[in-house]
Amino acid sequence: MNAIETQDLTRYYDTLCAVDHLTLSVNNEIFALLGPNGSGKTTTVLMLTTLLRPTKGSASICGHDVVREGEAVRKRLSYVPQDMAVDIKLTGRENVLLFARLYGIKNPQDKTDEVLAIMDLSDRADDLIRTYSGGMRRRLELAQALVHEPEVLFLDEPTIGLDVAARKKIWEHIRQLRKNGMTIFVTTHYMDEADRFCDRVGIISHGKIAALGTPTALKADLEKDVITAQVSGTLTGPVAIDGVRCVGRQDGEITFTAENGREAMPLITRALESQGVTVTSLSMREPTLDDVFLHAVGTADEPGHFDFQQFRTMLRRRK
Amino acid sequence: MNGIKEYISRDMIKWLRSPVSVVSMLAMPAAWLVFVGLALPVTFTGNYLDFIVPGILVMTMLSSSLNGGTLLMFDKILGFLNKFLALPTPRESILLGKILFITIRGAIQATIILVIAVLIGATILPPAQYGMIYLILFLFGFLMSACATTIALYLGDHDSYAAFNTMISMPLFFTSSALMPYDVMPTWLSTIAHANPLSYAIDAVRAAETGAVPVLQIGLLAVLAGIVIAICMQMFRRVTV
Repeated sequence: MNAIETQDLTRYYDTLCAVDHLTLSVNNEIFALLGPNGSGKTTTVLMLTTLLRPTKGSASICGHDVVREGEAVRKRLSYVPQDMAVDIKLTGRENVLLFARLYGIKNPQDKTDEVLAIMDLSDRADDLIRTYSGGMRRRLELAQALVHEPEVLFLDEPTIGLDVAARKKIWEHIRQLRKNGMTIFVTTHYMDEADRFCDRVGIISHGKIAALGTPTALKADLEKDVITAQVSGTLTGPVAIDGVRCVGRQDGEITFTAENGREAMPLITRALESQGVTVTSLSMREPTLDDVFLHAVGTADEPGHFDFQQFRTMLRRRK
Repeated sequence: MNGIKEYISRDMIKWLRSPVSVVSMLAMPAAWLVFVGLALPVTFTGNYLDFIVPGILVMTMLSSSLNGGTLLMFDKILGFLNKFLALPTPRESILLGKILFITIRGAIQATIILVIAVLIGATILPPAQYGMIYLILFLFGFLMSACATTIALYLGDHDSYAAFNTMISMPLFFTSSALMPYDVMPTWLSTIAHANPLSYAIDAVRAAETGAVPVLQIGLLAVLAGIVIAICMQMFRRVTV
């Protein structure tokens, strides 16, 4: 039995399909759901944590259905949303103690001391949250989530808005939890973090899984070299070369993937110059998770259909 | 139910740690008590202070309830509600804890107003009558805080709710029997006042002060509170799943 299991999980906001027939299994690992804004990451987490009802399909946590056995599911999971909701007029200890008591655990005081120590917050435990830094607030939320020893931990953008040192610290804590046997489901924008710290990643685009696997396997699957061209002048038309795909355009920089980079480089130069764009430099490198992401999700060349009215309806619903 | 006590103590600590809000919410009813209760020259009663105290007590409960409407809405906007909803604690405890907290807070403020009233010359009553008065205030508090919470959840944003709050609080007070008895009101006002739930509570407190047991008003308030809490539960379930 897997910790998280979904089967054709689907959610519509009116006519907008936020999550589209998602089928996933996650067990005793750090799993990262990656995707652009509005791709359905948070909607997926809300359904798995019983905060939102699926339109179609099913999902279970430790074998318990998220719709029919809500309470059993909630007993097994902890959820840290991205909002950083901690009471600033309460002390760190009071914030954690509140959750310990709400979970109804036996020795709330002792357990609170224990999780505060794990999160390195013992010496600041009796200060008001008002005086805490962003990183400390995030660690305090982790402490709140750990107080009832969940089997599955959901973290929505756990490192958003934190500095490099604070992010590293959060990930070290997450790795330690995973070593102790917890299943951790993370959503993030940060590719480098997913690459370094997660066991498996799923790239989600328009509510569908576009790529799934370990970061290493995904990069290897790409079997491609990444070529970046520094150019002057603007490219107007598409670049059509066999075996070469344009995956990104920014001012003065165009990125391609090609199966054989060495052979593709002169072809790219010629194709660009024939369109009146001057190539100032070309470089080739191994693919990163960023490239896997761009390859799976598509590029600025192929903008997704964006309905502003639908987007607003969705945001309003999610509040 | 599990969790209610914890949710109440969370709100209570937060409230007591902001002295400004504790004092400012008392300023308005205290001002009415002193400046109107002691100063207004009226002919229909010898002790206007004693007449107006029930109205001021109910007004204190009303303003505490209307202010309290924002509490659950802010928990929702700031992301606390989602964290609480993901707990195995029964979800209704969140709502019931909120309604109880708002009512208890109102009762604490009403107690302070009552002490001030006695200090400036209101008649002291036997303990049983105070007990009856608190029962009425609690029922009224449940009714109004459930109302305010429902409307705040329905409106969903703070600006709309603040506008609603401003619009409703004064008219509700002036069209009740708080300031004058029905027989000195113009007929149209008396008609409105008889339908105003504030009047039920005020009349009930006045009856309790004479030593009577206002069964009808208490029954009405209890039934109304029951209905509104049921509607509020429905609204809460609708916005949370």
